Formats: sequence, structure tokens, C-alpha cells
Amino acid sequence: MRLEIRYLNEFNYREPAWESHNLLRACPANDDHQRLIAYQVDVTPTTRVHSYTDYWGTRVDEFGIVEPHRDLRIMAESTVETATAQVPPGDATVDALATVRAELSSFLRPSPHAIWNEPIEEAARVAVGGAVDVVDVATAVSDMVTSTLDYVPGATYVGVDVADVMSQGKGVCQDFAHLGIAMYRSIGIPARYVSGYLYATEQTTAVAPDEPELSVQTHAWLEVFVPGYGWWGLDPTNAQPVGELHVKIGHGRDYQDVMPLRGVYHGGADHQLGVQVRISRERLTQMAEQ
Amino acid sequence: MGSFDEVHGPDGVRAHYQALMNRLAEIGDAELADRLGLLDSFFRTLGITFAVTGHEGGLERTWPMDLVPRIIPPDEWSHIESGLVQRVTVLNRFLDDLYVGGQQAINDGVIPRWLVESADGYVREAHGIPAPRGSRCVVAGIDIVRDDEGTYRVLEDNLRVPSGISYVLENRVAMTRILPVGFASHVIRPVDHYGASLLRALRAIAPPSVDDPTVVVLTPGVANSAYFEHAFLARQMGIELVEGRDLLVDDRHVFMRTTKGLKRVDVIYRRVNDEFLDPVVFRQDSLLGVPGLHGAARAGTVTIANAIGNGAVDDKGVYPYIPALIEYYLGEEPILPNVTTYLPWEPDQLEVILGRLDQLVVKPVAEAGGYGIVIGSAADEATLAATADALHSNPRGYIAQEIVQLSTHPTFVDGHLEPRHVDLRPFVLSGDRIEVVPGGLTRVAMRKGSLIVNSSQGGGSKDTWVLGNGGGHAVTPR
Amino acid sequence: MLSRHAEDLYWVGRYVERAEDTARMLDVTYHNLLESPGDGAETTWGELLEVLFVNALYTGPLESSAVSSYLVADRTNPGSIISAVERARDNARGLRDRISTELWEAINVFHLDLARADFHIDLDRRAYEVFRSIKSRCQLISGVAAQTMPRDDGYRFMLLGLLLERAEMTCRLLSVRYARLAGGNGQSGFHAWVSVLKSVSAYEAYLKAHDASLDPTDVLQFLLLDQEFPRSVLYCLQQVERLIERLAGPSHQASMERAVGRVRAHAEFTDIPTIVDGRLDPFLEELQREIYEVSDEVEAHFFRAGTDLQLHFQRWA
Repeated sequence: MRLEIRYLNEFNYREPAWESHNLLRACPANDDHQRLIAYQVDVTPTTRVHSYTDYWGTRVDEFGIVEPHRDLRIMAESTVETATAQVPPGDATVDALATVRAELSSFLRPSPHAIWNEPIEEAARVAVGGAVDVVDVATAVSDMVTSTLDYVPGATYVGVDVADVMSQGKGVCQDFAHLGIAMYRSIGIPARYVSGYLYATEQTTAVAPDEPELSVQTHAWLEVFVPGYGWWGLDPTNAQPVGELHVKIGHGRDYQDVMPLRGVYHGGADHQLGVQVRISRERLTQMAEQ
Repeated sequence: MGSFDEVHGPDGVRAHYQALMNRLAEIGDAELADRLGLLDSFFRTLGITFAVTGHEGGLERTWPMDLVPRIIPPDEWSHIESGLVQRVTVLNRFLDDLYVGGQQAINDGVIPRWLVESADGYVREAHGIPAPRGSRCVVAGIDIVRDDEGTYRVLEDNLRVPSGISYVLENRVAMTRILPVGFASHVIRPVDHYGASLLRALRAIAPPSVDDPTVVVLTPGVANSAYFEHAFLARQMGIELVEGRDLLVDDRHVFMRTTKGLKRVDVIYRRVNDEFLDPVVFRQDSLLGVPGLHGAARAGTVTIANAIGNGAVDDKGVYPYIPALIEYYLGEEPILPNVTTYLPWEPDQLEVILGRLDQLVVKPVAEAGGYGIVIGSAADEATLAATADALHSNPRGYIAQEIVQLSTHPTFVDGHLEPRHVDLRPFVLSGDRIEVVPGGLTRVAMRKGSLIVNSSQGGGSKDTWVLGNGGGHAVTPR
Repeated sequence: MLSRHAEDLYWVGRYVERAEDTARMLDVTYHNLLESPGDGAETTWGELLEVLFVNALYTGPLESSAVSSYLVADRTNPGSIISAVERARDNARGLRDRISTELWEAINVFHLDLARADFHIDLDRRAYEVFRSIKSRCQLISGVAAQTMPRDDGYRFMLLGLLLERAEMTCRLLSVRYARLAGGNGQSGFHAWVSVLKSVSAYEAYLKAHDASLDPTDVLQFLLLDQEFPRSVLYCLQQVERLIERLAGPSHQASMERAVGRVRAHAEFTDIPTIVDGRLDPFLEELQREIYEVSDEVEAHFFRAGTDLQLHFQRWA
């Protein structure tokens, strides 16, 4: 499915801000599941945007604004072609993971947002039961996350402990992803966090919308490693494998490695932030589908 | 198992110590005690103190220097020096390989990937940051000990922000003031060119396009325990001592704020840890750093020394692999061997460790300053049991080593000379070449029998004399 | 030089001058009231708090021991002498490589002595000595600076802070006191003018330049516009103008230089006798406003440095 995404961050400061410095990770990845067709960043006030690819393979757009300003507008526009969901062939067992664990150790150790405790590991074991096939195990754990948490917008904050999320029983998509990652890692399955966009009317569905253009939010899900196949995307918030409605920006050990926007500035703390993500199906695609 | 004594050999006082020991005997203990009092007031007046960590409220002590210098004869020093040049050459090569060179050593299986990636000091954001001339360890402090046979061995590598050089320089000045007669009849290699050498190294690693680089020292500020040294080094080099708030990044270039406007900065000798350097990339709550500094370093418009991410090698879990890395990169045997080390994450070695826990020393991989170390022979049952548990539950968190009975050296304690254990931290500079400062910081455990020489744990220091045949300082080409 | 060092030096100058001015005004007020106690006391203490810009903060009784102790030794009062010296000392601590050892010691020892002193007893028993000792310690600091500091930009920034503080303080003193003095004549008026002069160490200098009849116009003329008296507003502003010219160097900063030129000219070309009746108040207010403008320009141009950083990041979705 060909999608056009406009991701806008608008900051409005009560007092002038100056010497602002920001890192944006908003560019869709170009990989086996999706093809990046176009990407462009516009910043107002005008400044030079420098881009590089970080350790995890995500494009980073870096920019600063030295002069005092009251408004900062960051628009990232992209066009991407996504593929439908794939399910890996179910012939890899968890024993096959033994050979890749050393290589993928970064995705097996706790990371700041995914530190597990006894109850998390226990829940993962209960979910797995006697399953040995990696795809079955992965699906079971993802379903466990889905049934453990209620999706409640604003329920948590950046930096919340995943163990607290589990006991509260509610969270947002980042929490679903982190709890999932923590569960996988606790039982020795390599798992990584994915930041991206979702073309759906609500965060909790992955059903193709009827509307040609939607206002959405950034989304988060996860990927687990399946021997003989590679990284496989699962979306515990929506209890679905990752498909053509998901647009991946990048991955990392957790949120910290792939934050959509990170920055600092000098000036008063008082500011308003407006975030908008609009996704539309490109007309050509729609016509072809009809 | 006895210790090697630096001064007294099987046939009496070693040749290179005879003149000094005779002098000390002539002076006599009573006079030495007087001189020790002078020494304390000398350091107090200069304000040379250090903060003892782990004490609330920041306990400050004056710098404890012993009156009896340590002497290294020329042949021993050239052995140490060539070993340090070899080791630091390899440490620079490995770090450059790790962060910009495609990780050949890991791909070739010399050191396990998981081990490097799980090192606390391994910084993924350092990938792609260029280091001109491959000099990532611009200032390295390599801790060396001497075992019971007198063999010099490397105990640990300090490649992040090693401190102590100011004490080396101040010890020498203090010694000339307090015990001038001791110097007579010795030709001692000078150390006072350190500021010039460091500045030369820092200028040599400026971004290649810069002709006349501006170099600054970046300090966390007056509250830092090593602030004295930061100010001292800036003064020795005649360059500006800045804090993070004095710097600003505009369009990937670093500037300092002066009363005459913004001034470009090309090289930053930073004494701020990696995680505090840039709040946009590292710790967000850090006010010590400079927003955008990481991006500027990545773009190569400024050089940060020491390079970001050197802590990967400071990790004690990586240390056991350095001899193999020397072999890998240079095809040479290590000139200075490591201390025999066992790896708890290798199941067969864990067995060995647990079987001999009361004969080994166990060290946490990420701690510095002598903290968290368990010396098996001196530990009680409960401590040993707790250590065994820790090794089981977190094998990557520790290494175990044979206990090295550090060499001893006569030290003026309670009005007379007594043997105390010592180590040596030489300082190695990497710029356009590798240069070793003659001698280094000899640290001494002031408590009888103690093997812990760290100043934060009650250690003292000695002026360290490298004997030579003339002035000048040795420089070894890379 | 680094903006941070310049700023720290500037504030060392300001804080030391503030401490000295505060001590001198306290001294004069305190001893005047001893000589002529009466209904005026509360008003006089209230005025002093106003001159020192802390009248809105002060909640205690308007009597000598409470106000004195608040202005000398109260750490909760940001304008107290003990606070000013502490801040001067904190600034100087980061300047150890920039200032002479003698200057550092003068400031540090003063700070340590103040921290140790028992002002509750001292202010009761020997207020005169307390005030005199504070004044002389402040003068010692300026003197040590003058004797031991090279005449570089660092010294100029310290002097700049000191002179701006002094000009501001003299203006405020006149502005607050004049309202009452304008009406007063005879004996009480005379004493009040003497106290104003003494408050800025100008009494003796004034007597040499004029005579003991203390004509209010002459006093104003002297304190505002005298060309030779180092505490007159004009004298300070002329020095400030020269310092700024020197510090800015070739990088002319039009707005800053305009601001200082304007206030200096405004003072210099004012004919005191014609404004003494009725127009002095607005004049002094205008002058103060213009001096603040100069301070703002100096701070914006030379010191604009990093303040606290704020974080940007997108919230959880």
C-alpha cells in the first residue's frame, strides 16, 4: 500500500527560546517490508538540517536554531510503499536460538525501559506453556501482553517502569511494546523496539480504514528474532502481526534508541506542543485498488 | 609468598638506590619528620587537595606524598616504555576499529562481540565519530604493578579521563623544595614539559582542515573533585578552562562565548564523562555538557579528547583480551604481560574461580578506584559466599585474578622507614606520536600490608625518578 | 576573555560595592537616629529599605536593631551584606586563575569572618565598629584589586560592575530621600543633608568644594555632577562610558554605546538649579531607568550565556 505521511511538531514558547538543538527520527526505513519513495524535512525558522544514519540504521535529522524564536515548526513528509503481513514458516524451535544469542546479546539484556522482574518472567512462561516453535512462542507472548494491558491514552509517562505498567494493567503503545520486549528477553528470545506510524482509525485496531486521509499518532510495536527467517514484527497493542498499515521508522533496544524527537533549548520552560500525524493513501494506489 | 622490594635485594641495597639511601641515613629520621611537616604545609598552601569519594559532604584531604622517592633505572624504564607504547598503539587501533573501522577484531573472533557490546563504557553513539590520526587515547593512564619476582605487569587501562598527572608534577616540585639534597648525584629525567607535550598532542589531532587550532580544557566545574587538576592543566598549557555553558554549537561547529563574540573551538580536552557531554544524545538531565557537541564531533569539525566510547576498553571484562589484540594487530608478544585473569562467564573458568575463591581477587568490571574489590585471602566466610552468589547470578559483572603481592618500597611512616606496597601509573600521550612521561604516579598503600593504593582509599604517593644519562625526554616514533 | 569570567568579575564588583554602600548607609542612619530620636525613625528605616530595594521583602518592625540585623546578617535577604559577600565569594571561587591570590584571599577571608561573626551581640554593643569594619574590608578588597590586578579586561569588568552599582545607588538614595528633604529646612533639613552626604562618603569632599551652609542645590550638583568626586553619578558614568568603549573594542555595539552615551549626556547637560523645583523627581527616575538600560545592554552584549536548559521531546502516544 502506498502511503503519504505528514508528521508535524509545532512548539509554541511563552518566552523566546534560543539555542535550540534537536534530533528527529521520522524517516521511514527502507527494508524488506517497505520501500521509501520520498522523504523531506522542513524546519521553520529556516535552518540547515544535517542527516546521518545512526548505529541502528535509522536516519537522524539534526538541526539547531541559535537565534531567539517563539515558534518552532518541524514537518517531516514521506511517501512509502508497504507490504502485507508475513508469517514466518513455523519450523524454527527455540533451541535454534542458541546459536544467535551471542550475536544478538544487545536484544537479550535488560535495557533502561525494559527491565523485567519475577512476575514479568512468570507471565511470559505461563503464556508459552509447552510451545517450542518460535513463531508460536512469539505469538503467545504477544497475546499475553495484549490481554494483560488495557490501552488507556495518557495512562503513563515517558520513563515509567515496565514492572509498574504490568501491575497497573494499563498503558499506551510504548508500554505494550516495552512489556513485550521485557517478556521475550526474560525467556531468552531476542526482541527489539520499533518506532513508526500506523494507518488506522484507532491505536487499538489494525483494520484498514475507509477514510483516504487520517489523523493519527506515532506508534510503537516490536520485533522478535526467528531463526532462519530474521526479524518478525508483532503489534501487541493491536494483537496483530505487522502488515501493510504499519510504517516502520527504526528499531533499537527500546524507546531511548529511537525517540521520534529529542531536543533541548534555552529559555522558559513554558511551551505548548502540537503533534500531528496525517496519513493518506496515495490516489494512484486507491484507483488501482478500486 | 613474599613481595619484591624495590630497594632491598638479596645482596643488600640495589645499586641504583645506594646514593639515595646513604643520603637518607645521613639526614636521619628526626630531620625527615621535620621535612614531612614542611611538605604538608607546602601542599596546603598551594591548595592541593583531593576529595575522598563515598563520604557525604565531600571530605577533603591534602595530597599525601611520601618523602622517599621511587627510582627506576634506565634499562627497566626502557622496557616499561616500549611495553606502554606497544599497548597504547594497540588500544588506539582496537578502539578505532571498533567505532569506525568495521570491527575487524570482533569479526575475526579475537574478542567476542557480546562481551564488547555489554561493556558499560561501550557507546553506540560513538560509531562514526572520526579520531584524527586514530589517536583515541590521547591521555592514557596505564596501571602497572610488580609481582613477587619483580616482573612488571599491567593491572588496568584507564582510557576515559585518567587523572593524577598534576600530582606527578607537583610531587617533583615539592621534592626539590623539601629534600633538595636527595637529588644530588642523580641524573633524573624531567617531567615539567608535560603541559607542552599534552598541548602538542592535542594540536596534532585537530580536524585536518584547521591550521592553527584553538584547544580548550572542558571541566564539569569547581565542584568536581579533580577541578584542581583541570585548572592546573589549563594553566600549564596556557589555554582556556571552559565549562559546558561556555560553549555553543551552531551549524555543527563549536564556539566559546567570549566578551569579543563567539570564537571557534577545534579541540576539546574534556574532563567530563561521556554520558554528560551532550544532553541531546546522552543523559538529558546533564547541564555539564554542550547540546550538539556529539553532532559536531561526528561531522569532524571538532575533536574530543579522549574520544567518546573509550570506556569499552576500561571494562575489566575486555582487559583479558588485550594480549590477544596485541598479537592480532602487531603480530608481537606483549612486552608487559597482564596479571593472570579468570573469566567467570566461561563455565570451566567459573569452576576454577569458585574452587579457589579464597586465593583469588574478584573485581567488578565497571568499578574504578579500588571499590568493590574482594581479596579472597583476606575475606571472611560470609563475604566469600556473597561473592560466589554474585559470580553465579552475574558472571559478566566480574573478573577474578591471581593476587599480585605488589612490590614494596621503604616509606616514611610513624617516624621511620617501613616497607609499603606500591604501584605505578605512567601517563602515555597519543598525538602525532606516542610519548611516555618519564616515571608517572607511584601510589603507595600507607596502611601496613594493604594492597589498596587508591588515593580515595587512604593511599599516598611518591615522586618517581627515572634515571637517565642526560636531559631531554625520550620520544618513541609510532 | 570568556563571557562567564567577565560576568563573574562584573558581579564581584557589584556585590562588593553593594555591601559597602549598605554598610555606609546603615551607619549614617543608625547614628543619626541616635542623635535625634523621635517620630522620624520609622520613616527613615523604611526609606533605607526602599533605597536598598528590599522594602517589599522586609516584614519586621521598623526599628534599628531589627533592620540592621536584616541588612547585615540575614541570609534570607538577598540584599544583605552577608549574602552579597557570599555571592561575591562564590563568583570569585570560579575565577581563581583570573584574579590575584591576594584578591581571592581578601574576599574569602571576609566571607569566612562574616560567617563566623555573632551579629546579634555585635550590633547591639558596638554597631559602629561593625559598620566601620565592613566598610574597610570592602575598601580593602577594591584596594587589593587595584594593587594586584593587571589592567586587563578582567579588571575592567569588575570596575564596570562596581561603578554601575555605585551610580545606581547614589541615584536611588537621592530619589528616596529628596522627597522629604525638599520640604525640610532649618536644623532638621541641615542634618538630613549632612546624612545624605555622609551616606556616600561625600561630606568632607563637599566641604572642601563648597562651604558648610549646605545649599540643597549645591549638594545635588555635587553628588550628581561633580567632575572630580569619585562617587558622583556623572563621574561614575564617564568612567563606565570609557570602560565600555575599551571593552567593546573594534566590535562596536551601537545600542550599548548609545545607551551609555545617552545617560552620560543626560546627566552632564542637566542644569540642576532649573530642575530643583518640582522636576527633580522625574529627572532622577529617568536617570535610574537609563542606568538600568546600560546594565541590561552590558549583560546582553557581553554575558549572554547558557541559562538552564529545557527539554523538548514528544510525549508517549
